[in-house]
Amino acid sequence: MTDTVSEQSGSEFGSVGQKTLMISVFVIATCGLVYELVAGTVASYLLGDSVTQFSIIIGAYLFSMGIGSYLSRYLERGLVTWFIQIEILVGILGGCSALVLFLAFTQLAGFQIILYSLVGAIGILVGLEIPILLRILKEELPFRDLVSRVLSLDYLGALAASLLFPLWLVPRVGLIRTSLLFGIANLAVAVWAYHLFRGRLIRSAWIGIQAHVVLVGLLVLFAFSPQLTRVVEGLFYQDPVVHVRTTPYQRIVLTRSGQDVRLYLNGHLQFSSQDEYRYHEALVHPALATIEAPRRALVLGGGDGMAVREILRNPQVKEVILVELDPAMAELFRDHDYGATLNAQALRDPRVKIVHADAFVWMDQSRERFDLIVADFPDPSNYSVAKLYTRTFYGRLRDHLAPGGAIAIQSTSPLFARRSFWCIVKTIRSVGLVATPYHAYIPSFGEWGYVVATLKPYRKPERFPKGLRFLTSESVSGLFAFPVDMQPLEVEVNRLNEQRLVEYYSDEWEHVSQ
Amino acid sequence: MNGSMSPSDPERLSRRTFLGLLAGTGVALTAALGGGVNFLRGKWGRRTVRSGGGIQGTVLGANHEWGHRVRSGNLPVPREVVPVEVLIAGGGISGLSAGWKLHNSGFGEFRILELESSAGGNSRWGENAVSRYPWGAHYLPMPTRESRAVRELLQEMEVLESDSHGELRADRRHLCHAPHERLFVHGNWQVGIFPNASWGPEESRQVRRFEEHLERWRTWKDASGRSAFALPRVYSSTDPAVRKLDEISMATYLERHGLDSPRVRWYVDYACRDDYGCSIDTTSAWAGLHYFCAREVQEPDVFTWPEGNGKIVQHLLQRIGDRVETGSLVYRIKPDKEGVSVDSIRVATGEVVRYRAKNVVYSMPIFTAPYIIKGWNRGGLDSFSYAPWMVANLTVDRVPEGAVWDNVLHRSPGLGYVVATHQNLQVHTGPSVLTYYRPFAEMDPGEARHRLLKTSWSIWRDEILEDLSSAHPDLADRVSRIDVMLHGHAMIRPTPGFMWGKVREEIGLPLQGIRFAHSDLSGFSLFEEAQYHGVRVAEEILDSRGHDYESSL
Repeated sequence: MTDTVSEQSGSEFGSVGQKTLMISVFVIATCGLVYELVAGTVASYLLGDSVTQFSIIIGAYLFSMGIGSYLSRYLERGLVTWFIQIEILVGILGGCSALVLFLAFTQLAGFQIILYSLVGAIGILVGLEIPILLRILKEELPFRDLVSRVLSLDYLGALAASLLFPLWLVPRVGLIRTSLLFGIANLAVAVWAYHLFRGRLIRSAWIGIQAHVVLVGLLVLFAFSPQLTRVVEGLFYQDPVVHVRTTPYQRIVLTRSGQDVRLYLNGHLQFSSQDEYRYHEALVHPALATIEAPRRALVLGGGDGMAVREILRNPQVKEVILVELDPAMAELFRDHDYGATLNAQALRDPRVKIVHADAFVWMDQSRERFDLIVADFPDPSNYSVAKLYTRTFYGRLRDHLAPGGAIAIQSTSPLFARRSFWCIVKTIRSVGLVATPYHAYIPSFGEWGYVVATLKPYRKPERFPKGLRFLTSESVSGLFAFPVDMQPLEVEVNRLNEQRLVEYYSDEWEHVSQ
Repeated sequence: MNGSMSPSDPERLSRRTFLGLLAGTGVALTAALGGGVNFLRGKWGRRTVRSGGGIQGTVLGANHEWGHRVRSGNLPVPREVVPVEVLIAGGGISGLSAGWKLHNSGFGEFRILELESSAGGNSRWGENAVSRYPWGAHYLPMPTRESRAVRELLQEMEVLESDSHGELRADRRHLCHAPHERLFVHGNWQVGIFPNASWGPEESRQVRRFEEHLERWRTWKDASGRSAFALPRVYSSTDPAVRKLDEISMATYLERHGLDSPRVRWYVDYACRDDYGCSIDTTSAWAGLHYFCAREVQEPDVFTWPEGNGKIVQHLLQRIGDRVETGSLVYRIKPDKEGVSVDSIRVATGEVVRYRAKNVVYSMPIFTAPYIIKGWNRGGLDSFSYAPWMVANLTVDRVPEGAVWDNVLHRSPGLGYVVATHQNLQVHTGPSVLTYYRPFAEMDPGEARHRLLKTSWSIWRDEILEDLSSAHPDLADRVSRIDVMLHGHAMIRPTPGFMWGKVREEIGLPLQGIRFAHSDLSGFSLFEEAQYHGVRVAEEILDSRGHDYESSL
């Protein structure tokens, strides 16, 4: 067996072997820096304060490399075997590092301990690589050439990594896939070296099995990385998840932390129970309280029942129709006590009728008229949802409005998405409705905008129902005043065949998230 | 084995070798990473189409067997004789429009015979559990000022409404919703179909020059105030300066004006293939420019529905469907002094019927006339050539990521696909039907027809998946059905010299009691032209009968 063959002669690899080792210097240098950048980026994402995170991680990583370099003196024999073994270890730890860190953050306590242990371990192993390679190659080349080549390749690899990482890897490949990809590169070096030097390794068979198995393992993980990424993102809520449901329409997640219950649809925050009263009171009452005798109300979207709860505060209301596409939402907020508590059992009220239908299609087919219509849709972030903010749709709303009635429309943020907001206002006006814009501050959302649309000029309400926690007849006037940074802009009407709103919205929110 | 293991000579590793090694490693690493990412991203290289074994489907074709039987002339003589005032042979858009105009003028004594099992010709449509879908024409541009009959029809359909100022306004539910078009070029989708990514200054200059050409033609007027290109074409200028354009191909036109940019060429070629089934080299420059210039705005709004222009067919059938007989082949038309005999056979039963009509509207493709009309003696039909098409409807479990209405692939032999459910108002998008169009502009029409006849369904399936999977690697997994329809003579080809040739102008003149109505007479297969000829012939017949009507033209 080759197991017993030692490699002490260590002198001649031939030019192929030599080049292989040189190439691996470049590869491992790239990999090493990528792992450092991955750790820094994940830490900045998760812990914030990127300067601190990057600074500490770079320091810890370099220090660990120093430890590795120091420790290299204790490795005496079988240097090529050691080199391959180290590559395998770096490949595993580095390759899985992003995945492990994300999972650790969502699942375990003591994230920082794991973070720095991982950074330390990878740093030590990477620190071992170059001294060992130098020693392997020292018989091959004059010292002068050896140092110059190895170190320059090392720095070149670092350059490659530092350019690839921000320009291509993070935006295109993603962190989890990036680290797996470079783990695969480390393993490729290990397998390559194994095949070249098979004859002279200690425990050759064992090393070979390790290298191949780990390579296949990383490749499999990489193949499933889209799914893994989704799982990891799914785990990513600030607070413990208390309810998860994936329906044909969306992923519904409720989280809870103390008194704060939050609803996420497809990862987007819909409300926080701490301040949703502000959002829903501001949505419903400026419209509802202006109607003289509100009998029939229609709620589009808003399957959480919060808007319905506000409507039911008015005892004149005899009937509320809630059009919500996803039956799972109604189930969660009507049948589960958990959800029903949040909307004060609104959906269990006999006056409420729930229809499962697509809002636009339902509006297009229905002939009914309503005193109050509430349109509480997700923001117009794509062409499908933005159909519910078009001239054609507002024309349908107008046709379903009873004389003396009012429509309340959630209209995204006039501060963060100022053109989007005024585009919605202008679109509502384009169908002959009187659009009265206003805004309110919701801590978990920021400054938020609404429009109340009426057939006749709007009268500000003088009285609101009892028991409100946000609106008062004295303070309501302030909502209708727009400070300079939220005032109207020149915009176009949003139409089914030319959806300007999607363009405005994506421009503006992209701008905000930078 | 160890023979090559001499200690390496440091001098041999020169600076050049060293740098070469560096560069080589960089390239190798980048290539390996790139290759690896692409390889894995394609989920183990599913770029090559897998067997597609689970996909169902059929090939539907124009009823060519019957067509060939007519050519052989081996058909019976009917005994049953049915008298009718006006007989319309052919239930495509021209035939249906003739019936529509007669009906709307209060003249109901006509009958339409159609060989296929449903009327509509190139505007036929299909339906499955997921959606309705087109088998041919899938949109109608906003009508020009001259397309009065189209305006009348769309108003009747209540998709165009005149507002208080008498201006026509479209119901936007029926206009193509945003986003409209995208192009798959260099591995990515871009908005709009003009390939505009990263071009140089020369190409931008050419694009601008091409636009200037189009703008000049759009605003051009002859001495009597006629536009160079109008729709219907009969309203176009007959000025020699315009007619001369028919002498050259669109490709020659571009060359002569120094427009040789590959991108401009591709775009114009795409337009020719899309509208006429012809390449840039076989399309008359007059027809090519007509496409770009006949409408007042360069990119007019278009009306579209899940079933494409099948929506219009349904509307027409609602009005006159009771007088349409499908599955009926007209195989002999014989005019005499008293009228016209029209012999037909019901393909399902083999029953033969003779109609005795005062007037006949011949609204079948003109190339069939010598086989059907007894005493046909007009020459020049060999200059009528037809583009064959293949249209496929793919039922998919989900609308492709980011799909818009019209999804075009750069440098593909196909024209890409249209999403049938695009006009749905609901927010949630589920399964859909994608309509894939494939002209055969790159080959001779005869050769292409031969291909249509001999290609099996599984080959079509593979070709379609192969073409689309460059943009959608997982398409084979998403498709449950591919139904293919073959149109052997889908469209008349607007070849150079044909559009203003004498043959085309004279072949459609009345022949005793027979009047001709088909877009073939215009030289290109456009809805507006087919409808124009149908309505024109109906009005001529009403004139000849002294029946009162209000002209739609």
